[in-house]
Amino acid sequence: MAEIAIILLNMASYVLVLVLVALGLVVVFGMMRVINMAHGELFMLGAYTVVWLQAAGAPFWLAVAAAPVVVGAVGLVIEAALIRHIYRRPLDTILATWGLSIALKQAVVLIWGPASHSVAAPMAAAIGVGDVTYPVYRLLLMAVAVAIIAAVFWIFLRTDFGLVARAVIARPDTAAALGIDTRRIYRASFVIGTALAGLAGALVAPLISVDPQMGLGYLIPAFISIMVGGAGPLAGVLVGGGLVGGTNNLATVWLSPVVAQIVVFLLAIVIIRLRPQGLLGGRDGA
Amino acid sequence: MAPRWLAGVVFMALAAFPLLAADYWTGQLTRYLIFGLFAMSLSLVWGRAGILCFGQAMFFGIGGYVMAACTMGLVGGALTSSYLGLAAAVLAAAGFAALLGYFLFLGRGLSGAYLAIVTLAIAYILEQTLKSAYTLGADNGLSGVPPIDLGLFGASVELWQETPRYYLVLAIVAAVYAALDRLLASPFGVVLTAMHGDPRRLAFFGYHVLSLRLIVFVIGAAVAGLAGALFVAVDEFASPTLIGFGLSTEVLIWVALGGKEMLLAAFLGAIAVRLMESTFAELLGDFWILALGLVFMVSVVLLPRGLIATPLGRLTSGRHRDGT
Repeated sequence: MAEIAIILLNMASYVLVLVLVALGLVVVFGMMRVINMAHGELFMLGAYTVVWLQAAGAPFWLAVAAAPVVVGAVGLVIEAALIRHIYRRPLDTILATWGLSIALKQAVVLIWGPASHSVAAPMAAAIGVGDVTYPVYRLLLMAVAVAIIAAVFWIFLRTDFGLVARAVIARPDTAAALGIDTRRIYRASFVIGTALAGLAGALVAPLISVDPQMGLGYLIPAFISIMVGGAGPLAGVLVGGGLVGGTNNLATVWLSPVVAQIVVFLLAIVIIRLRPQGLLGGRDGA
Repeated sequence: MAPRWLAGVVFMALAAFPLLAADYWTGQLTRYLIFGLFAMSLSLVWGRAGILCFGQAMFFGIGGYVMAACTMGLVGGALTSSYLGLAAAVLAAAGFAALLGYFLFLGRGLSGAYLAIVTLAIAYILEQTLKSAYTLGADNGLSGVPPIDLGLFGASVELWQETPRYYLVLAIVAAVYAALDRLLASPFGVVLTAMHGDPRRLAFFGYHVLSLRLIVFVIGAAVAGLAGALFVAVDEFASPTLIGFGLSTEVLIWVALGGKEMLLAAFLGAIAVRLMESTFAELLGDFWILALGLVFMVSVVLLPRGLIATPLGRLTSGRHRDGT
């Protein structure tokens, strides 16, 4: 019983982080058709922001709060310098952001070196219920992740900004004709997407090794989650992230992590092939 | 498309290279020629047929491993001929591409970004699989792959010296280039261009778009497999890095920087980037990769036709075509 509880808790925390990463990706992809291959590196920058600020003596939670701001600012620069020139060439965004990802990775190597850093968890305590003990930080991480995911859904589904943003997704030209500044909406969405990546990176920094290659390990699963769930509706990320992350984590109970990942990727590719619009996508998804 | 005289000049210059350079550079350029061949395969598939394959190294890696396994005698003690190895490598890569292409393109099929991500994931899966395949050396790969042996019927003519090996590789690369160039100039090439432009309209004209995509994907894979096989014979080493994510994206950068629509530009792009890498890597150290990433980014935005293809196109056609 205790083992099952821990397996489920680990699964939930992995799924929530994956959903957080994928959510940032889908805001950018679903909205602007921009495939951001540098999303994993923005995630990495979030983690390095914590490394950097903690070394400067800042408390952990302040560093976590600063990460989305720092990475969002980087996102603003990227949008202004790179992305806005290629909005009309979606396939070129893959290549250009790939170049960006190489450059960001190497910039981090130049500043912090290629070796991995570790971030001290803000609390080492473990909480016990019956014979199950679990680190408090992981529980907090889950709570924060759920709150952020809910906030993003609230922004896009309940606020005026969200309404305008969804109008721009559905009919960019009509929205522009109605006087909506689509460029400003694109820019805001891109910054939201990058800030989410930064926040996700900062939150998981204490749990994983922080190194320049860490982004890739989340980028491919995040993309696959989006494609499995469907890039159209925002809720597709929950389904995709839940399925990909959950299956992957659950499979490691019986299989080695590498084999588990291979199996999950293969299953996901079959689903993507059979339903290119994603499980939740109604209309044309690709 | 590059005119024939230009390709002639390029290959003549490459043929003169070993007369002027030290053995070390001849050896290096042999490898770069093979990477150029590999880049041509992606240029064909991506630039000419519009199939953005983010995992082209899977075919290079399959070719490499099959060649290594054959010539090292891992499949059957007697079947170690280089000819057999090369043929098996090309067939294995082409066969895998046929199966994969059928799976990916059938029906509505995948295209664009979805295809890119799925091929990337498949390359990643293959790399991870090879890393844990102990019969194939796992992480360490297979070392001691024998050099190409041109001998037949028991005689042995091993090419292990830099210069003869260089000329053999150059001859193969030039032959493949000439064949692909002819193919693209033929009616088939015209249909490919039409498919790149608008596959649906081509289907209305009665062409079978699935078979066209499959054919070009398989030809591309065969060329990549050949390149992989030559590479392990020259490098005497096959490792999981040949098949995976890293090389797949590297070749993409060479082709994009050179110019994806022009075989010759993609070929030169690979050679140029590798040459600059070996020159600048010492000079600039870690800044070289940073610079490469930035140059790549800028070139995609400003010169989407490629840094080599754009001037070559101006030079040869005289009239200037629109950059998008």
